[in-house]
Amino acid sequence: MFGALFQLLFKYRPAVFEQGDFALGAPMSVILIVLLAAALTIPALLTYFRVRGKSTPRDRIVLTVLRGAALLLLMACLFRPMLLLSEAVPRRNFIGVLLDDSRSMRIADRGTGASARTRSDFVRDTLGEKSDLLRQLRKKFQVRLFRFGGSSTRTDSAGGMRYDQRETRLVDAIEAARQDLEAVPLSGLVVVSDGADNAAAEVNDALLALRARAVPVFTVGLGSERFARDIEVQRVEAPRRVLKNGTLVADVIIRQRGFDGETVPLIVEDGGRIVARADILMPAGSDASPVRITAKLSESGARTLTFRIPVQDREQVMENNAQRALVQVRDAREKVLYIEGAPRYEVRFIREAVELDSNIQLVVLQRTADGKFIRLNVDNGDELVAGFPKTRAELYKYTAVVLGDIEASFFTHDQLAMLTDFVSVRGGGLLQLGGRHSFSEGGYAGTPLADAMPFVVEGPAVADSLSFFADLAPSLTPAGFAHAVTQIGTAKLTATEKWKSMPSVTAVNRIKKLKPGAVVLITGNVPVGGRAGMPGETMTRYEQPILAYQRFGRGLAVALAVQDDWQWRMAGSIEIDDLSFQTFWRQLLRWVTSDTPERVEARATPDQVNPKSPVNLRAIVVDSAFLRLNDAKVIAQVTAPSGARSDLPLDWAVERDGEYRAVFTPAEEGVHRVRVTATTSSGVVTDTTYIRAAALDAEYTMAEMRRPLLQRIADETGGRFYTADKISTLPDDIAMTKRGVTVVNQMDLWDMPVIFVLLVGLVSAEWGYRKARGLA
Amino acid sequence: MRTYAIVRRVGAVAVGAMLLAQAAHAQRGGGRGGGRGPRGFDMSALSDPNGFYTPPDFRGNPVYDGRFTFARIKYRGYGYWSGREGPGWSHDYPDADVHFMKILREITSMRPFTDFGNVLGGAIVSLDDPALFKYPVSYLSEPGGWFPNAEEVAGLHKYLSKGGFMIVDDFPFEAWGTFTNAMARAMPDLRPIQLTGKEPIFDSFFKVDMAKVRRGYSGGGGRNGGDFYGYFEKNDPKKRLIVLAAYGQDIGESWQWSGQGFMPVDVSNEAFKLGVNFVIYALTH
Repeated sequence: MFGALFQLLFKYRPAVFEQGDFALGAPMSVILIVLLAAALTIPALLTYFRVRGKSTPRDRIVLTVLRGAALLLLMACLFRPMLLLSEAVPRRNFIGVLLDDSRSMRIADRGTGASARTRSDFVRDTLGEKSDLLRQLRKKFQVRLFRFGGSSTRTDSAGGMRYDQRETRLVDAIEAARQDLEAVPLSGLVVVSDGADNAAAEVNDALLALRARAVPVFTVGLGSERFARDIEVQRVEAPRRVLKNGTLVADVIIRQRGFDGETVPLIVEDGGRIVARADILMPAGSDASPVRITAKLSESGARTLTFRIPVQDREQVMENNAQRALVQVRDAREKVLYIEGAPRYEVRFIREAVELDSNIQLVVLQRTADGKFIRLNVDNGDELVAGFPKTRAELYKYTAVVLGDIEASFFTHDQLAMLTDFVSVRGGGLLQLGGRHSFSEGGYAGTPLADAMPFVVEGPAVADSLSFFADLAPSLTPAGFAHAVTQIGTAKLTATEKWKSMPSVTAVNRIKKLKPGAVVLITGNVPVGGRAGMPGETMTRYEQPILAYQRFGRGLAVALAVQDDWQWRMAGSIEIDDLSFQTFWRQLLRWVTSDTPERVEARATPDQVNPKSPVNLRAIVVDSAFLRLNDAKVIAQVTAPSGARSDLPLDWAVERDGEYRAVFTPAEEGVHRVRVTATTSSGVVTDTTYIRAAALDAEYTMAEMRRPLLQRIADETGGRFYTADKISTLPDDIAMTKRGVTVVNQMDLWDMPVIFVLLVGLVSAEWGYRKARGLA
Repeated sequence: MRTYAIVRRVGAVAVGAMLLAQAAHAQRGGGRGGGRGPRGFDMSALSDPNGFYTPPDFRGNPVYDGRFTFARIKYRGYGYWSGREGPGWSHDYPDADVHFMKILREITSMRPFTDFGNVLGGAIVSLDDPALFKYPVSYLSEPGGWFPNAEEVAGLHKYLSKGGFMIVDDFPFEAWGTFTNAMARAMPDLRPIQLTGKEPIFDSFFKVDMAKVRRGYSGGGGRNGGDFYGYFEKNDPKKRLIVLAAYGQDIGESWQWSGQGFMPVDVSNEAFKLGVNFVIYALTH
């Protein structure tokens, strides 16, 4: 509407004004004569001001302005203003028209109900062999058609499209077409797509290249920018590895349109077996909802988990209701070293809590007297025979260390530095428990380990009698609400309610300040009838963290800053069959041992691909002290689903120490097992990872027309963005791009209808004013 | 080497504790002797509204502060071995409790409650008291007079099932039936298993030589007097021991009299070593 009105008044479309250069067409002699004539009118105007009569000074000003404006307009027309516009010489230039051939083009989101038409219908109708648009384009250009999805190929017509490609690599397709047409005069590229790009590559680099070559890209966005009613499992973030029988915590992003306030079920399936289910309330006014869901995985190996929302009533797209995640369930036995400075109930109850967990080996070094220790759960008589490890190689055999109530002075400075490196370099987990000789009270301030702790540790060691004391009733923080370690909810109580019902515990460590990167999962408040404070001080309102953590280097540092969490098992209010304490401790130790790297760490990126798509294999190799090794021989043995094996050497990536890389392209569908073996001077180490090759449904994820991406491609390359219903000007717009073989057109502006309208308006206004004021 | 040094230290500490305790004992107007009075001794004047005897030296339980606290289990009734020390459960209180905690504090790296003001030794709790669950290691003396009611049986069942550990001492042979009957009510699936002396509990801190352990009571009706019995989880001696019955023993008396010099040091030493081992085992297994 606006465009038509504009063209009616200004003779040309706005695009012509954008592209053209302004110039005056009159010869200089004419300009001088006109200026002279204008100069002669000045005395006349001056005398006009001296006129006496009925007119007031205001009348004379208004009349002078109106008459002067009309004269100026006429004078401007005498200068012969014009636009100089470079336009492509008909049929001397080429354009590439790229048609999206991916599956998302099958979505019927144009119109509603039975009359809904697919995006591909538009391509067939608008750019088919007999279409007006294609005819107009061919009038002006040599047109080359491409169809693209995961790859880009030339095509003769839009009729040969199958819309079956499982991914869209928009930028790759543009670059491929540009290269294909590099040898011919290219006026521009036209991309007809819904913009549902799912390439991993960054758009920025490709756009820079296109801009540098001054190839304008005209983008035509197909489909609805916002579905009327649809629900989509957009993304699943799940840990790559979990221990068998451990709790898997996955973050799922659910996107919804038109489901405000409705509840939908989210189901997690492991090989067809439902392992978790949750009812999700779609919040009103929020398009995307992050949901955290937990599941127990009891079968080891590579598990393909499906996160699915059953198809809901009147959904527009049904193929985007599920996502899959590949999770490696390890049946490993993680070794945890627990050192306790004095016999106390913690050891008894923690050991009992985890003794049935076949995936956790809790090795206890219990100091019973000065210089006297008990070793429990050791593998052999030599383990820990000389007390706490004194070398990195000895300490790094464990995946996590639990520090009980033990003072900093028990350790040598080297051992404290080694413990710090255990977290930051080796990537191990450190869990420190509360006690009269833990944290600040244990003299850890100023030690290397103070850096690792999630609290600020300060001040000298504190004598028992001067220790802080607080009764603390636990409750979950927002961060703890959905954390794997706090999930002790039952069929009747959520985790939050369950923690509220847990008995109070006590702390003898005052936590004054958290580190900036620390996260509190469980906090404690003084319960009714409880107390907190230093000796002689009684506070009835006080809060401090019970469970907090921070990432430290490659590892995790956790603090459970209470001295008697065994009360969560033993307190009178806890029933015999209430296993919350056991569950909590199993989850806690699994958490601190999770993601602890081994000496070779293999990773496939991405771990789920369409068949015959490349996968980057990466392995990081370290020695027994976890220093990166560049001279290892690294081989990946890939076992395909059919049992076929192939060996693939990984080469050292020179720019990164200890990192070895290779590219693998799965030929079969199914889960491939990749066993990476690194032969080093200190032995042979292995790690296993998995790749799932399957037809992915990425095309239906975020399948609404992505206007921002298409608009950006057009803007940054000097092209234009069109929606399906405004595509008619495309041929003329491309013709004005100044690319290829062009000719300059002079386009007069003096005869624009708007000038005539303006002139008539000014003269009429003067006449009307005179009549109104009685001056005519 | 290390163990021998600690053994010598036990002896030295025991003597020290004896001297300390003598002074304290005198201050409390001690010298009650240890003789057991006739059955049926009327002690109703010392009973609380719930029917529990209150020892004269009892000044309340310590305020819970997370430290290891000796917990003595009390039960109702005065009909068995009640004497000047009250019913069997209170025998040797508070001297045995105080001495034992002091030994634990001196010998081990533990920092147990010993005494604070006039609160001595530890806590006294009944099996039906929710406070029991703050003391996962407990001590029951003279099981011959122990006839728990339904609430106490339920309390003990919950206590032991959740991880509590009970030491039963001052155990004359004729008390066996009463003890096992009470235990059968609380833990019907478990049965007492005779210990060999090679179990981890006899090697948790000191290596106890059973040959040196003195029998607290003579007789035994054909039983191998002075033996130790245990109740294990699932009746499996490889699993956790949850009740230690010092059958035919009176370890608490040795703890008590170590302070008065009436008990030979060697005998007290062995008693303390057993007590230390029981506690260390309970805290680590």
